[in-house]
Amino acid sequence: MSKKNRTKFSIIRAAAAMGIALLVAFLLILLSADGANFSEKIAASGKALREMLVSPLFKKNGNFSMKNFSDVLAGMIPIMFTGLATCIMFSANQFNLGAEGGIMLGAFVTALVAIYAPIPGPLLMVVAVLAGGVAVGIVMLIPAVLKAKLGVSEMVNSLMLNYVIMYFLNYLMNSFLADTSKGITQTYAFQDNALIPQMIDNGSRLSWGFVIGIIMVILCWFFMYRTRWGYGIRMTGINQPFVMYSGMNVPLIIIISQVIGGVLAGMGGGIEMLGRYNVYNWSALPGYGWTGITVAILAGNNPAYVPLAAFFMSYLTKGCTLMSTNANVPSQLIDIIQAVIFIFFAAQQFLAGYRQKLVVKSAQEELAAKAAAMKAERSEQ
Amino acid sequence: MSEELVIQMKGITKVYPNGTVANQDVNFDVRKGEIHALMGENGAGKSTLMKMLFGLEQPTSGEILVNGEVVNLSSPTVAISKGIGMVHQHFMLVPSLTVAENMALGMVPKKSGVLIDYKKAVEITEEYSKKFNLRVDANAKVMDIPVGMKQKVEILKALVRGAKILILDEPTAVLTTQETVELFTELKNLKKQGYTLIFISHKLNEIMEITDRMTILRGGRSMGIHETKDVTPEEISRLMVGRDVILKVDKDQAKPTDEVLKVRDLEYVNEWGKKMLDKVSLSVRKGEILGIAGVEGNGQKELVDMLFGFNTPNAGTIEVNGANIIGLGQRELRERHIALVPEDRMLYGIAGTASIEENVISDRCGEKRLNKGILFNMKAIHEESAKLVKDYTVLCKSAQQQVGSLSGGNIQKVVVAREFSNGPELIIADQPTRGIDVGATEFIRKKLVELSRSGIAVLLVSADLNEVMELSDSLIIMCGGKIAAYFEDTKELSDELMGKYMLGIEKQTPEEIRRVCHE
Amino acid sequence: MNIFTTDFFFSIIRIATPILLATLAAVIGEKGGVSNIGLEGIMMMSALFGSLTAYWTGSWAVGLLAAMAVGLLEALLMGFFAFKLKTDIILVGTAVNMIGSGGTIFLVKVITNATMGKSLTSTTSLITKSLQVPSWNIPLIKDIPVIGKVISGHSLLTYIAFLLVFLTGVLLYKTPLGLNIRSVGENPNAASSVGVSVSRVRYITIGIGGILAGLGGAYMSMYYAMGWSLDMVAGRGFIALAAQSMGGGEPVGSMLAALIFGFAQALGIKVSATGVDSNLVAPIPYIVTILSLVVFALNQRRVEKHRHASALK
Repeated sequence: MSKKNRTKFSIIRAAAAMGIALLVAFLLILLSADGANFSEKIAASGKALREMLVSPLFKKNGNFSMKNFSDVLAGMIPIMFTGLATCIMFSANQFNLGAEGGIMLGAFVTALVAIYAPIPGPLLMVVAVLAGGVAVGIVMLIPAVLKAKLGVSEMVNSLMLNYVIMYFLNYLMNSFLADTSKGITQTYAFQDNALIPQMIDNGSRLSWGFVIGIIMVILCWFFMYRTRWGYGIRMTGINQPFVMYSGMNVPLIIIISQVIGGVLAGMGGGIEMLGRYNVYNWSALPGYGWTGITVAILAGNNPAYVPLAAFFMSYLTKGCTLMSTNANVPSQLIDIIQAVIFIFFAAQQFLAGYRQKLVVKSAQEELAAKAAAMKAERSEQ
Repeated sequence: MSEELVIQMKGITKVYPNGTVANQDVNFDVRKGEIHALMGENGAGKSTLMKMLFGLEQPTSGEILVNGEVVNLSSPTVAISKGIGMVHQHFMLVPSLTVAENMALGMVPKKSGVLIDYKKAVEITEEYSKKFNLRVDANAKVMDIPVGMKQKVEILKALVRGAKILILDEPTAVLTTQETVELFTELKNLKKQGYTLIFISHKLNEIMEITDRMTILRGGRSMGIHETKDVTPEEISRLMVGRDVILKVDKDQAKPTDEVLKVRDLEYVNEWGKKMLDKVSLSVRKGEILGIAGVEGNGQKELVDMLFGFNTPNAGTIEVNGANIIGLGQRELRERHIALVPEDRMLYGIAGTASIEENVISDRCGEKRLNKGILFNMKAIHEESAKLVKDYTVLCKSAQQQVGSLSGGNIQKVVVAREFSNGPELIIADQPTRGIDVGATEFIRKKLVELSRSGIAVLLVSADLNEVMELSDSLIIMCGGKIAAYFEDTKELSDELMGKYMLGIEKQTPEEIRRVCHE
Repeated sequence: MNIFTTDFFFSIIRIATPILLATLAAVIGEKGGVSNIGLEGIMMMSALFGSLTAYWTGSWAVGLLAAMAVGLLEALLMGFFAFKLKTDIILVGTAVNMIGSGGTIFLVKVITNATMGKSLTSTTSLITKSLQVPSWNIPLIKDIPVIGKVISGHSLLTYIAFLLVFLTGVLLYKTPLGLNIRSVGENPNAASSVGVSVSRVRYITIGIGGILAGLGGAYMSMYYAMGWSLDMVAGRGFIALAAQSMGGGEPVGSMLAALIFGFAQALGIKVSATGVDSNLVAPIPYIVTILSLVVFALNQRRVEKHRHASALK
């Protein structure tokens, strides 16, 4: 199939997946809509859907809403990191689902450094975030080494680790670290020099962490497509025996991919912590890890598309939040929309019939061209 | 034999989802009670055509008639109901189930409504086994029985389902000579009982021996239907490959120098306790091609696995340029300039969805010249891949094209381009031209000769007699995990003599064989 | 303090029941070559609809049926994506788990809002004692000292779960369907070449798993926790996958593994009753899972080495 047809096909496919997700969303909204009769319900649902799709960008009066837009950008920060983490792990065909626990642990370790480490100036910020990354990288050694050396499923282990991390952090908070003068379980405040400055001062919490996220996207792309390690990771994902036979160290690649994934998730947690909060008060898994998986699938495991996918997810999340305040539809609708888009993106055979038609068409065109060329050759002789 | 046609396939075209045109406007028919050969090189479209007849694939266009009736063979179930059975090349058996369970699969006899009547399944198996004189052990697990018996189970499976037309996909490929003889007797017996057989093969002598008519496919098209008694082997080979097979490869007399590969008394027992290598010793020197001939499954695969670090021997030594290589990983082996053209190119040779470029740099991606600091030197990589594509005449749009979208011959050119180009001192070529087109075959063979004459040691493992005899300077024959013969010069060798050693009818003395060590 | 009381052993069985049901789903799935990591999400969804239906109809039995039906439906939908649209089964499972956590809270809010006029975030207020799946004091056995106290008086679903261990064995090894499931799992080409419909068998495999996970969900919301609440399944669907592999994929072995997890969790509860922070005890089953997978892998490796070594002799 020609490149033009391939591009055309992927765009149509993406649009169809989103269309189906929106249709499902509409039906679910309809289920919850207020209204005395059907047409009132339809109208209410239409309003809610509009709220979800339009309000992240525009105010009621139709003017561009900088506040909402910067909220969307701020929402991209953690999921860009978990998205990148998942991209790299999935590229090596490692179904490590530990970005969820990873971002929580990273946030926690960063918070500890930000509270207690006597480091002057902005250096504290850097050290704190890196400490979060390193801590998660080390924890990811558990599923990584077990997979590489013993062939134990990294998927099950990473899922288990998510829970272990959550309970363990809650234990540390309850027993040692909480600021007991407060009504809820939270730590003492971060040192001021640990806080990541904001890009806009409008309460969106759009910090310079966003720019760091974009820089990480670029670095990850270079890592995956312009270094021998990224190359090894991608080839391992395609055909592991080939990589071994070629003389690369497969167990090491399996370990590296998951450790890097862990470092990215951990850094994401740290940056989210220092850019959005001034105390640590998470008591449950934040869900960014799962969204990160969706981001990676939408981006086709290519870091370059992560910002786009993260923007899309953040936009929808913001839309659902606004819809829940303004149209009284529970914001958790986002989880269902996300799952629907996710699964249609991941479905290889979705619209395969249409693709087959395109393939047959271009194969027949090629054959016809060949036949014409042969005919021309013969008539020359 | 009557003139009645039991199968007619008319104007069959098949385009696969990846764009491969496997069959184009093929006409094919089979008479009742005949043995009909379907011939062609690997990739000629034989398997696809038969998959459509058995309902595993559906034609893109064209129609199929069974007993004069147009049918829509949408699944194997439909094909089976029309009396068509297939014996696949890769056995369709479930290893952990018994022979009787495999026989019963899909048509299980029941007792008290829901449970399997296992006793009945055994009875049925034994009844058919007797009726067609195909001896099997009904209670043995399939994973424990020999290949020949597995094939009998496959044939019985088709017969018990009421097949009157049997498709046999390269049935002799996995069999020993003795088993092949047995199979032919059984097939002739089936023919006598009125069964129709379609026999896929590319072994000329077999075709001439047992078939009545043949259809030859080339490049997805039919080259016509012929009466076996009316065509000569030369004509068949011309129809199959489009021109007379080029048998000769020009090469000068080898001038071997230092010993590169030194294998001594290698032994290996596999995990089922079968001795696969028995005191194998050989040497390969710079500037020569040592061929290893033999029926597949006589230890060649195990030997290659040992040489390239996929397995470790139970006893014996392997040295390359004087240093032990047992226990080394593939990376260290490649650092010692050992290259392997793997037998299974789709599994080891390539990463299918990656580009040609990404495939040719896999063994050298860490080398200085392709890197600038921590980054790849993309310019150097593009240059390297473009040069290899050109030097090895890989037919493609550019080095950025997906390897998996190339034809088999071009895929193999990508593999050899990588393996031959990074300064190898020892090349192990395992079935380097299996199943690829004539052009690519010729190219790779010439390249091997050229490389050996430039001072590289080449170990060639091939089940293709023509190939080992033409390319090798000297040659060993493996049989039953041992070296059965060593020939210092391949020129005076005849097929008949080779056959005797390959099948274990004759064996050289240990002293004669020991000459391969050049001590 | 003596922790190994009859109460303690009673609680092991009580805790192991939902894990066992999900484990059997995983056992049948793996035999048929269908790795269902969505069991967690299916249990959540079934738990929700089971409790809601029980409340609406006023009948625990109808609630139980609804939970099974929802499990089946969701599993078949998974099958559609995995087999028909060729989506990686792990990703399908991930999507189901996403819906199982956030999606269920959306549904419970919307549904309670539409039917009752106020949106609830859990159904614990709806499941009263009369809607609980009944327990059963087994005649005669209940009077046996010690043993009676341990194995009598459990929920009906507990006895069904242990009966299902036996039935799963019969299904897999003694029925034509089981033969089909095992051959599709081991060599789908072999099965399809003799006319076994691979996709039909796979749908049945994942469907049975859905029903079993549905029972597990019903047990959670209609017996164990008396009502549905967010994230109540808490990884039991994942632990089941570990129990399956620890038990070598066979029904009885996997049952023992499920009991080991029940033991770990029961021990945790016992210990936390002595004043230890529950957060320190809650992760025990997850840690046991990781450790057991390691032990299992090491053992596997040892067995293989041993086999090869003995082949040499």
